[in-house]
Amino acid sequence: MSDAPGVLASAVPATPPIGRVVATERRPNTPHEFHFWTALDAPVGIGTIVHVEPERPVGGVLPRIFGVVTEGFSYTDLQSPLHDVLGADGEPGAASLAPTERTEIRLYTAAVLRHVPEEPLQPVPMGRVHLASEADVQTALRMDTYVQGEDRRGIPVGLYRAGGTQAAVHLDADFLLGPEAAHLSISGVSGLATKTSAVEWLLASIFAHFPSKKGRVAAVCFNVKGPDLCFLDQPAAALADEDRAMYATLGVPAEPFADVRYFAPWTARGTQLATLRSNDALQDNVQPLTWGLRETLQYAEVLLNKDDVDAKADALIDFIKERVLDQVFSDAVLERAHEVRSFTDLEQWFRDLLRALEAKNSEVWRTHHIATIRKVRNRLTNISTRCKGLVTDDGSVSDLPFGSFTDRTVYVVDVANLEEDAQDLVFARIVSQLREHLERRQLGVEHVVVFVDELNKYAPAEGADTYVRKMLLDIAERGRYLGLVLFGAQQFRSQVHRRVVGNSGTTLYGRMDPDELATPGYQTLAPATKARLATLEKGQLMVRHPHFGQPIFVRFPRPAVLSGREGVERFPQAEELSLDAAITKALRRLDPSVTLGWVQDTLALGGDDEDEVLRARNRTLQARPDDVKAYFKAQLRKRVVAERGERRGPTPLRVPPRDDPYG
Amino acid sequence: MRAAPDAAPLETQRRPDEPPRLEAATPIEGAAVGVRRLADPPIVGFAGFLDGIQRSRVLAYHGSVPLVHGAVAAAVRVREGRRLRTWDAPRVTQALYAPIGALDPVFAAALVARVTVRDTDAAPGSHPQEFTARALTAVQRARERAEVALADAWIAREPSPLLIDGGISGAGDAARHPNAVGAVKSHRTLYVQGDSLGVVLGLREGERTTAVELSSPRRERVATWYLRLRGAGERAPFFGLVRVEVARQGHTEDELTARADLVSRWLLAERAPVALPDPRWDVMVYGIHECEQYLSAIL
Repeated sequence: MSDAPGVLASAVPATPPIGRVVATERRPNTPHEFHFWTALDAPVGIGTIVHVEPERPVGGVLPRIFGVVTEGFSYTDLQSPLHDVLGADGEPGAASLAPTERTEIRLYTAAVLRHVPEEPLQPVPMGRVHLASEADVQTALRMDTYVQGEDRRGIPVGLYRAGGTQAAVHLDADFLLGPEAAHLSISGVSGLATKTSAVEWLLASIFAHFPSKKGRVAAVCFNVKGPDLCFLDQPAAALADEDRAMYATLGVPAEPFADVRYFAPWTARGTQLATLRSNDALQDNVQPLTWGLRETLQYAEVLLNKDDVDAKADALIDFIKERVLDQVFSDAVLERAHEVRSFTDLEQWFRDLLRALEAKNSEVWRTHHIATIRKVRNRLTNISTRCKGLVTDDGSVSDLPFGSFTDRTVYVVDVANLEEDAQDLVFARIVSQLREHLERRQLGVEHVVVFVDELNKYAPAEGADTYVRKMLLDIAERGRYLGLVLFGAQQFRSQVHRRVVGNSGTTLYGRMDPDELATPGYQTLAPATKARLATLEKGQLMVRHPHFGQPIFVRFPRPAVLSGREGVERFPQAEELSLDAAITKALRRLDPSVTLGWVQDTLALGGDDEDEVLRARNRTLQARPDDVKAYFKAQLRKRVVAERGERRGPTPLRVPPRDDPYG
Repeated sequence: MRAAPDAAPLETQRRPDEPPRLEAATPIEGAAVGVRRLADPPIVGFAGFLDGIQRSRVLAYHGSVPLVHGAVAAAVRVREGRRLRTWDAPRVTQALYAPIGALDPVFAAALVARVTVRDTDAAPGSHPQEFTARALTAVQRARERAEVALADAWIAREPSPLLIDGGISGAGDAARHPNAVGAVKSHRTLYVQGDSLGVVLGLREGERTTAVELSSPRRERVATWYLRLRGAGERAPFFGLVRVEVARQGHTEDELTARADLVSRWLLAERAPVALPDPRWDVMVYGIHECEQYLSAIL
């Protein structure tokens, strides 16, 4: 131990030095950057965290400086490449036969992560350079303030590995899930950046480490393509020993998510849910996602083209929402009073109104021009066609359990098979509902992570100012106070609105596209760091976090859940069922005694109106009655009875005349 | 006393020691100096490279007497796995060089009490440049002593050949040891006369002259020959020309030929990497160049 007064005992590194700080007038050290050289075989690379051991105390205290390598240089005493050509007589092979190798240097530039003590902030002094130990990594990244002690709130994001050092890197929950900062943005090229895997891993880590005293936490994940998130409750096909070791080191169980609930709209035909998680063995936690007129009209703005629907149309839509919807509406021009609760009701209301106006040869009703009424009718009733499977004509609703969300549960909303408009509607409504429930503290949990892939689609940097983008901007800027946290993934960060990415407290980068790295948003990164980003392996990330002075490279384990690709192989998609079989399958989830024969017999009584049968199924699923068979029959019976009154009896056989020789 | 803060290094002010000349030497490989082309390819033989450097400049004047600071360093860079590192430890010394007899006795006593002073032994009242010339010579002797000490240490402890920058005839034990090889780059004195001059200057790349013997009362006997490391082409006749010195000890003529051939092949093997940007790159092997760089960094 040094005899210098005030020298910290911990300042004495246990490892031998691997380099030495150097500075020249042309390349001086600063408080935020320094240079050092190493032996040629030193285990140092871009991203390595090092620790400088200065030789002189400042104010009686030996300072400690931590840095991360951001750039590397190598050169020899050769002044011109031509000299090497001369030395080898122009024969490249001859150069390697020279008995002596030229003097060569490995010179690195490191960005300062932290000075201890923080004051006075001075240029990095000369001194020996050591590889950072595990404790050094904690100090360098300021993790010592939140991974230890009573207010422990570290969320492991991965392992830092370099030069034989392995250290867990934690994010600060207060800066990941609020209230200090929040949100996470992950970028990288498709297929190589492992963005979805990183988010799955991080959610598992949050569920394992988020302190219960900070509240309950759940996640809502939008599955926007393929089977990516369809098997989060199934164990991974194979998890390498290295991955298991990482899970153990980071204190996260190598297990799939214990509580996952899936929501998907029906297919357009309506016989099964539009999801790749349709295998019979996995239906226990899959529910329909259907909305009626009220739920849809609330977010009609999402679906209506602003260029098409003007202020007059807006006024009529608002009138319908406030004065017509969910109440008995009477008007002198109408044939009868209407109670509009579904798209079917709304269509009848429009039809009645327009017929009356035409009969009176009137062009205006309550200041609304007939052309506007026709346009709004066209646009609104068209929604149930464009969003078929999600939006029901009859108003039946099957929704996420807003108000009874449970702790450490993942709610997956599969919108992969919906049209783009319908995806926007789902996204807008669910996020708005989450926000409203969180504002009222009535969601069931205090924190919700909303994971959205392809964020550049929903919050693009350029283009029209859509409802969804405005909503995302609002979440990005104010969500942290509510506990509404956005985890957004995108290939190109530069294509996402800067206020959304700018408000992300934490940013992850997987393998990046070189063209993307050439955009202005990456100017602060050293060329070598960019080069590493462009060649990152699967399972590696660069992490930016408010506590980290510089970006840090980490590895994370493969998610302990079945991947989408493996999932669809192990759990093949169910065949499209006949109506009878689809009804049987749906009802059997409520009552196992329902058989195909019973359904066929029941439906045979009611004819073949497929839409009515599906509505009866939906009502039954929504009501979850004790006597499923009776309830389902009752839903059918309404229609069956009505139809029976109109049905004629079988046509009697004509009796041929007795005298007809050809009869 | 007046300080001389901006004084230039004395080495840069140095004038040629002696005029160019031809000097006769006794052929010991044949009856006359001839050309010998090396039949076998270059081969790596040297394990270490020895060089020394010196720096001296006037620090101050005491009256008209210059006080010269001189620093010398010598090192052997040993080759391991094609890379060079310092063998043992470099020899570094520094001192103040001054004619003590020409200084005020009180001042001289105070000086000697505080710093290492080397007496250059110049008479009082000499020309001031005589003082600096003597100091420079003394520094040069100090460098040579450092080099000799290191060379002697090498041959005492290492079994492998050492290439020494310059001649070895004044190198003490090393001058008599087969593992010491000297390479002389400058040719102010050419050890040929008459037709032999044309033989030396006409050497082509990879050719050497036959060996001659150098002897003097104050130096060890050595065998020496000229070797063309690089083709001169249209360049100056001394381009790529070095003179090699080895110990002259009981060789038969055949043994001497074999040894001269082998040592020449060792030197030819050291042509790469080229010692550029040193202006003497045509005659300087990389190991010596690198050793100089090392010494410049530590002195």
